[in-house]
Amino acid sequence: METWTPNPRAKPFIPRQQRSWYLTWKYRLTQRRSLRRFCQAGAVLFLFVTVVVNIKLILDTRRVADEDAADQEYDVVPNMETPRRPASGRKVLDIEVYSSRSKVYVAVDGTTVLEDDVREQGRGVHVIVLNQATGHVMAKRIFDTYSPHEDEAMILFLNMVTRGRILIFTVKDEGTFHLKDAAKNLLKSLGSQAALGLSWRDMWTLVVKKGGQVYGEKHSKSPALSTWGDPVLLKTEVQLTAAEEAECHWADTELNRRRKLFCSKVEGYGSICSCKDPAPIEFNPDPLPSNNVFNVPVAVIAGNRPNYLYRMLRSLLSAHGVNPQVITVFIDGYYEEPMDVVELFGLKGVQHTPISIKNARVSQHYKASLTATFNLHPDAEFAVVLEEDLDISVDFFSFLSQTIHLLDQDDSLYCISAWNDQGYEHTAEDPALLYRVESMPGLGWVLKKSIYKDELEPKWPTPEKLWDWDMWMRMPEQRKGRECIIPDVSRSYHFGIIGLNMNGYFHEVYFKKHKFNTIPNVQLRNVESLRKDAYEAEIQKLLREAELLDHSRNPCEDSFVPDTEGKTYIMFIKMESELDTSTWTELAKCLHVWDLDVRGYHRGLWRLFRKRNHILVIAVPISPYSVKKPAALVPIHLEPPPKEEGAPVEQL
Amino acid sequence: MPRVNRTFVFVLLLASSCAFLLFQLYYYRNYVSKEPGLHLLDPAGHVMSSQVQWQNLKKFLALAQFFRLPLFLADSAALALLSQDALRQRDRAMHEPHCSFLCAGRPITSFALPASQWQLSPGFLLAAEQKGFQLLEVRGRDPRLASLDTLSGEEIPLHFLFRLHGYIIHVVLLYERSGGYLWHGALRLKATADPTFAPFRLLDYGRHAGAYDRPELLLTVVDGLDVRVPRNISRFLVQRQEARFLECRYHDARSFLQLYPDDSSAAAVEFRRKAKVLLRLAAQTLGRLDIPFWISSGTCLGWYRQCGVISYSRDVDIGIFISDFRPQITTAFRDAGMSLKHQFGKVEDSLELSFLGEDVKLDIFFFYRDGDVVWNGGTQAKSGRKFKYVFPSFSLCWAELLEVKVRVPCETLDYVMANYGGTWSVPVKSWDWKSSPSNVIENGVWPVAEWAGLIQVY
Repeated sequence: METWTPNPRAKPFIPRQQRSWYLTWKYRLTQRRSLRRFCQAGAVLFLFVTVVVNIKLILDTRRVADEDAADQEYDVVPNMETPRRPASGRKVLDIEVYSSRSKVYVAVDGTTVLEDDVREQGRGVHVIVLNQATGHVMAKRIFDTYSPHEDEAMILFLNMVTRGRILIFTVKDEGTFHLKDAAKNLLKSLGSQAALGLSWRDMWTLVVKKGGQVYGEKHSKSPALSTWGDPVLLKTEVQLTAAEEAECHWADTELNRRRKLFCSKVEGYGSICSCKDPAPIEFNPDPLPSNNVFNVPVAVIAGNRPNYLYRMLRSLLSAHGVNPQVITVFIDGYYEEPMDVVELFGLKGVQHTPISIKNARVSQHYKASLTATFNLHPDAEFAVVLEEDLDISVDFFSFLSQTIHLLDQDDSLYCISAWNDQGYEHTAEDPALLYRVESMPGLGWVLKKSIYKDELEPKWPTPEKLWDWDMWMRMPEQRKGRECIIPDVSRSYHFGIIGLNMNGYFHEVYFKKHKFNTIPNVQLRNVESLRKDAYEAEIQKLLREAELLDHSRNPCEDSFVPDTEGKTYIMFIKMESELDTSTWTELAKCLHVWDLDVRGYHRGLWRLFRKRNHILVIAVPISPYSVKKPAALVPIHLEPPPKEEGAPVEQL
Repeated sequence: MPRVNRTFVFVLLLASSCAFLLFQLYYYRNYVSKEPGLHLLDPAGHVMSSQVQWQNLKKFLALAQFFRLPLFLADSAALALLSQDALRQRDRAMHEPHCSFLCAGRPITSFALPASQWQLSPGFLLAAEQKGFQLLEVRGRDPRLASLDTLSGEEIPLHFLFRLHGYIIHVVLLYERSGGYLWHGALRLKATADPTFAPFRLLDYGRHAGAYDRPELLLTVVDGLDVRVPRNISRFLVQRQEARFLECRYHDARSFLQLYPDDSSAAAVEFRRKAKVLLRLAAQTLGRLDIPFWISSGTCLGWYRQCGVISYSRDVDIGIFISDFRPQITTAFRDAGMSLKHQFGKVEDSLELSFLGEDVKLDIFFFYRDGDVVWNGGTQAKSGRKFKYVFPSFSLCWAELLEVKVRVPCETLDYVMANYGGTWSVPVKSWDWKSSPSNVIENGVWPVAEWAGLIQVY
């Protein structure tokens, strides 16, 4: 009670106006009983307030606690997909692997992760990589080791797989004909006992941890050359390890978080996932001093070739002046791995529900990607279109930055392309030189929005038309006589050997020896002379200074072009009409340039290099430059050799 | 005895409640600084709290400046105060930093940010969290991909809410769209989001998607803070009032087009091109006169049904409220290179203008309010017969057609149904404007004496 005694004495604070109240209170307070009453009432009130505040506090704390709990639950959700197993309760995976002549399958915990019983397909060694902590399939590969060099690819792949992963091997049909000792030794070092003895038409399965124990192996020998070994079925169990053991301990940065996610899902990307010294995923190339294409959106058209996409994006993100913010990767189909690659590099990925089949599917994918690109960047006047199987030159954006104003100002231009169809190692020379050509090379090119929106998009081939989009774009109705600007030395390199219209042989012949610029910051020469009229003046100048080659010699022979350097020569070939392509085709064949159709010309004129000399090839009489031909000179005429069928006619 | 006991009990109780209260105070101080979301105690009063809010804003804007985010003030209350007190504010700002505009007595301050400036790097968000802000990020589908329906990208960020000490800073992202306007998405919480994070009903943006013209910005000092504001504040505020944007029903349109494929003949392609040019021209011309219009009749049906134009409709139809009629319309369209084809009716009754541009007819119908319905008139030139088309009352929303930002009736389905009946989703190629519409009413005949003035065909 003592604590309350000062209260009644606190008179001066009470305003004078309320004297009567004050007096009555004074009177009451002086009475001891009323004082006590007052104190009691105050205490009860006080208690009451305390109780209320307490209840509110309890309620609020509970609410907050609930929210925290909800947050935690939310955190748990994404982990459901890759359950983090406690180290004590390690899980066991049941694995079944089947190998036979006509069918292979692999089942993990009853889920079929591989099944191939299609005839005439999937021959060779199938390899599956599982995450040792989660059991997820991280990679699936087939190495057709019946064919040459496939075993080398397999060695490369197996060496890239991180230690500790679970490897599953199974053979379909035949997988040993070109399985050389190096590969067999590698398999042996992984723990296989049968590897060295594998031979023609044997069936074989193996489940092993890389750098660890063998979980099981089965092998059945083929009794005779004409028969296959009996099918083998291997059933085994694999103990999963703790997640921590399967991960590297990279510094906790945004980049490494992406890397970690990627490396926990897929395999076969080499040192990206190396614990000690991982390959970079951010490249920080030099910016361009004045970049006219920094804000030009870049559309990367992709399918399901994640390793290609990885290589492509690496080169793209290393090019000087690249702006990752404007890159969008359009994936045709809901494939996981390409999306993983896109996310690894922190780029934007868009998936596209496939429409139609074959060429039409590609064409529809292109249309959707281009439309989406201009939707996403409504301010853009241009878009850079790339494909997933291209290497991008270090000065790709520099090349575009120096030329893009032409596309804006010169209405006789259709595109700027980084690709010279005729620019091979032996026919391209000058990285600073540009051409105008009447064909549309594609393979890394710039599209003008107005051309797309006003002309191409409204009449783009519909899904039921099985046309190649690029062939369609090259048709006169679309191209309308316009030309593309290309460099002499290509700024892109086509490395894809699997694809819709592509195979190893085709690539070897037409793409492998393509010249690719590796010099940074090339200052292009005389860019303004690429305008329509200026270019004609340029050609006339070239024609004036060009020396006539000796037309009596065989143009296919090396001596046809003198052993000089830096000179300009001119030659005339016979071409009566657009359809009369035999002489050019034969010439292209012996020059080892593109000969499958007629490409890369400007008004019947081809420009290329031989022995470091610039050669002008003029088609007589269809080219307007034919007037330069001395009257007496007979243009070179070549006929295809009469025998055999030619190279497989395929189009790019 | 009982009395002593009672006193003792009281003393005990008092002591314990005091202890309790002290504990609570301590706890709250701790708690409030950690968990600013709780409005448990508001002892500081308004002055103090606006100080807190001002500190929040200062912290936030400094951060935005550091990350070079060109935020601009989009808060309707703050902007309204600013537009009223533009002059007084300048004097006051000179004195002490006092939050008289930005705080505006609301626990929320809204900013807008052009999405193209939004860097993908999460640096800003991380830094804000380190400064004590709690973050709620609202993502949604990317509408720029939705038009293709077969594409699916990742969800894009639409809204950010930063919370500190119980105050919310709302950042709405404005995306550039093909029609040359800025778009923001509706704020829709995911099931996992905290529905009590902010007083969502009080937010200025997010109830609906919205469309805005790109505002010209001005850097100024408000309440002692450097803030960008729209140069024309009142215009921005008016736009905000009527910003609601309707996305086309791409999915349904796709189903429709699967059933009735688009005509891809050269003539149809050409008509679509011309219609686009014409629509853009109309939007520009009327925009310059500040006359709101909406797409009507077949053009509206085309938007609603197939997100495009009906290639056999052969004209472009727009509607304008008669209250917005201005005689300059005719000259403005002439200046834009279009010729007046006919003019029916008069301002008081059934006015209708038709222009010709790009070989395509642009019909402008003027709409009259009548109680809770609106109607427009039609006139048959040769007979002088009048018709009336009645619609239920509607409000206007923004939409995009052929990459042009246009208005449509927000209650589009009601509007289309009124005009085309329940079978609007089935194409009808032979259409008679005098009898086919389900809302047409015969409306007498113009007096022959007035024909010359009321039926002008050029």
